[in-house]
Amino acid sequence: MSITAAKATLATRSGVGAEIDRSRVEIVALSAPAILFTAGMIAFPVIYTVWLGFHSFSSTGQQRFVGTANYARLVNDGEFWHGLWVTLALYVLSLAMQLVLGIWLAVLLFNAKRIHGLVRSLFISPFMMPPVVAGMMWLVILDPSLGAANYILQSLGLPPSDWLASPTWVIPTIAVIDTWQWAPYVALIVLGGLQSLPPSVYEAAQIDGASAFRIFRRITLPLLMPTIVTATILRSVDLLRFFDIIYITTQGGPGNASNTLNIYGFRVGFEFFNIGYASALMLTLTAIVFGAVLALNRLRRAVAW
Amino acid sequence: MIPLSRSEPTLSDAWAARINTLLLLVAGLLIMTPTVWMVLSSFKPSFEVTAYPPKILFSPTLENYAQLTKTTPFLSFALNSLIVTAGSTGIGLLFGIPAAFAVSWTRISWPALLALAARMAPGTLFLLPWYVMFRQVGLIGSYTALILSHAVITMPIAIWVLLPSFDNIPRSVYEAAQVDGCSLTRILLRIALPLVGSGIAVAAILCFVFSWNYFLFALVLSNGDTKTLIAAAFNFVGEGSTQWGALMAAATLIALPPLLLAAVVQRWLVAGLTLGAVKG
Amino acid sequence: MSIARNAAVCAVSIITFATSFAASAADFDWKKFQGKTVTFLANNNPVSQAILGYKDEFEKLTGIKLKVDTYQEQQMRQRLVTVMNARSDEVDVFMTLPSREGEQFAAAGWYSDLSGMLKNTAPNYDAGGLSQALLKAANFGGKLTSVPLNIEGPILYYRTDIFQKCSVAPPKTIADVEAAAKKIKSCDSSVTPFVSRGLKPAVAYTFSNVLHNMGGTYVLNGKSDLCSAKGKKALETYSGLLRDYGPPGVVNYSFYQISALYRSGRAAMAFESSNELRTVMEGGERLKDTSLMPFPAGDAGSVPTAIGWGMAVSAFSKQPDVAWYFVQWASSPEIQKKVALQGIAAPRPAVAQDHEFRRWLDEQPVRKEWQAALDVLATKGSSEVGYPIVANPESREFIGQAVQDLILKQKSVEQACADADKALDGLIAQK
Repeated sequence: MSITAAKATLATRSGVGAEIDRSRVEIVALSAPAILFTAGMIAFPVIYTVWLGFHSFSSTGQQRFVGTANYARLVNDGEFWHGLWVTLALYVLSLAMQLVLGIWLAVLLFNAKRIHGLVRSLFISPFMMPPVVAGMMWLVILDPSLGAANYILQSLGLPPSDWLASPTWVIPTIAVIDTWQWAPYVALIVLGGLQSLPPSVYEAAQIDGASAFRIFRRITLPLLMPTIVTATILRSVDLLRFFDIIYITTQGGPGNASNTLNIYGFRVGFEFFNIGYASALMLTLTAIVFGAVLALNRLRRAVAW
Repeated sequence: MIPLSRSEPTLSDAWAARINTLLLLVAGLLIMTPTVWMVLSSFKPSFEVTAYPPKILFSPTLENYAQLTKTTPFLSFALNSLIVTAGSTGIGLLFGIPAAFAVSWTRISWPALLALAARMAPGTLFLLPWYVMFRQVGLIGSYTALILSHAVITMPIAIWVLLPSFDNIPRSVYEAAQVDGCSLTRILLRIALPLVGSGIAVAAILCFVFSWNYFLFALVLSNGDTKTLIAAAFNFVGEGSTQWGALMAAATLIALPPLLLAAVVQRWLVAGLTLGAVKG
Repeated sequence: MSIARNAAVCAVSIITFATSFAASAADFDWKKFQGKTVTFLANNNPVSQAILGYKDEFEKLTGIKLKVDTYQEQQMRQRLVTVMNARSDEVDVFMTLPSREGEQFAAAGWYSDLSGMLKNTAPNYDAGGLSQALLKAANFGGKLTSVPLNIEGPILYYRTDIFQKCSVAPPKTIADVEAAAKKIKSCDSSVTPFVSRGLKPAVAYTFSNVLHNMGGTYVLNGKSDLCSAKGKKALETYSGLLRDYGPPGVVNYSFYQISALYRSGRAAMAFESSNELRTVMEGGERLKDTSLMPFPAGDAGSVPTAIGWGMAVSAFSKQPDVAWYFVQWASSPEIQKKVALQGIAAPRPAVAQDHEFRRWLDEQPVRKEWQAALDVLATKGSSEVGYPIVANPESREFIGQAVQDLILKQKSVEQACADADKALDGLIAQK
């Protein structure tokens, strides 16, 4: 039973061209509110930030135009490259864990159709917790001396860990915290996708006598890909700008082991008052995220059916 | 694993269901233990929250909740949060649903990417410019400023969650309506919308949660009258005044509305919408 | 303090009060700005919260409406920076920490000069009674940028019972602290001998005290001085105490973990802010077995760190005179006295001598020790936390980095101080 055969049982698509010509005005009308709203809200901030990025600000608030000097400084800034490395390491680690565990959780929940709505919401509840609370909570739980985590480890006879205070383990620990909070979010999105899968596809597979696992791997997963890529895109924009948990717990430490680009840019702008350079950093980060989203969007188009 | 439907349930089906339940229990334990800890801690006196070894048995007290309502205008902050969140979720869905439909229909992505642009930049990028903007029109401290800024967060979520839902609808469904000469708007409202119920449910939950928990914009755009709940939660952490108990109590209360909403909206998630129109 | 001296002090203050009252009673009208509104951006520090407890009194006295916005310290700073960068008149009065941002904000021109306003006060204001040291610390470029509201600083909390059990005497010098920690470690392995700040941006607060006690300086002849002999010794001592005798994970420790650790009885010595007294005493477990002192002396004696929050008037406020009414009310002797009874150390020596306050202190021996420690801070204290430059907040990062490098054994002392000096020289040179 192949995916192409499965797709063949779905109705074919009509040509796109005719629709566009006829309903061009309507399309514009439907998407205009969103486009105009977004453009209206972000135009000034973006232009302003770009402008700021081309200036240098002295401590007395005087500004002078320095062209691309801020960006040149960025390229030569060791902290920037280190921040990029931290950001990407955290991103890849967290995304991988969240996707795998999120999809798995969604499947588990989908199959347990008869559990009560409230119980189901409890399963997806971690991401409903405000980041400041999650941060403070994990700060206590993972405290090497005061926290339940080491207490449990030691009760099981395992060696305690420094968790967030270890330069080596801080990134994986943060990735785990983030996964705890956001894998249920991925699960929710994938669950929505699972709901909307047409059952007719499976019936044909059943007739063939395929095993449940094969059905999942060969049919369900590919059909879920658009939803999964959507979840990836939504998590990516947040993961690449990782801020909240780090801000509450380690403030970029130990040393600068968890200093993501967003944290770095924030400190440069709000604590060191270097608005020009901070603007350049923030725009660079935005460009990186944009690049990632573009690439992922291509993927989304590729897996669309 | 999906689906398990066959004419008669077999032995392996029953086993699969049991394993499923077992795994769910383990997952549930891992997921909910920290949250349960948070809720239990809200009933402990402040200094016991960080006691070691962690106290599982304790005498519960309501003093944290009492202190919460006594020292902060908790209810009015909650109302502010509710107004802002409802407003931004409303705008997010209102603008987002048609936009998602349009993008799905035409397969042209850039409007969706543009909407997401607001989420690609660090939130701090918007703080100063928006403050200047809203100050000019005298909207600092108004619900409008908060709702608009939060809508910038919720709308992209609504669009991107609904995109695959709309994409999943095969074109054949629309064929009949198009032959009839229906306008796109009618197609959206009469045909597409009912079919993406689960997507809308997810979008609504996510928009609500994101807006409810977002503190950065409220920090700068609100004032004492319109301050949101989440901005107030931070106040329990500070030198000389860290009140763990009150923080946990505040956290528990803050987490309740999104949870309740999710429980209510679940029905649309699980309703088992049949795509009766697509069989064949 | 003898009764006779008490009486004498009381008499003096009454006379001063009476004369100043007679002098300017006619000029001052509390209700001059009745009907106006003052916006106050506050943080959730105990000082401002205690003062705000009497908000209704202020509104009744002056007829001025007070609009308050309270945020956590870092959030408040974020909001303030945004409002100030936009040069908005939204905020009239705000809380500020001169030791950290005083020079930075002053250079940016965000403060109103209050020196003139200090001369135009209510009769019993007693401007001369404010701590001169703190006033000086709030003076930048000849302008008085804020009025001090409290005095605070890091002090050493220690467990008298553990000390007794391990036959350790209360430390008199820094070397004693190290010796005590070592002895406690071998005597009782279940308790952390010493805990203090290790979180990078927070280190400077406690480290500065150690540096100054050992005679080190941050800046010498315009250059960063951490690699001097004294600087290196201070780095080694502080990081050594934390590395060898501190809790695991100390590099993430700031006030909430330190207080939690000490309060739960797991630490023998805690070097942390005087503000944390109330938190540490929560639940009452530590009430009877805790003693307090300023950090023991080093080669240069005792130069404790003493800072204070202040109230400032925004340079962009459209009604600085009205704002000043609130500031002077908040820093007046009567309000300060009321607030002192809640455990806030006033920057007015007179308040510290007040009868009611003394009675409050007598209620608990630990309170008396706390006030005694703060008295030392008030007389001998230095408010230099981090580098005395505009980029003070950024300088704290590099100090913290050096300390962390040593705690984590990632660099040798030579390397750590050299890297810090290099970066800090760059900061000092920035104009």
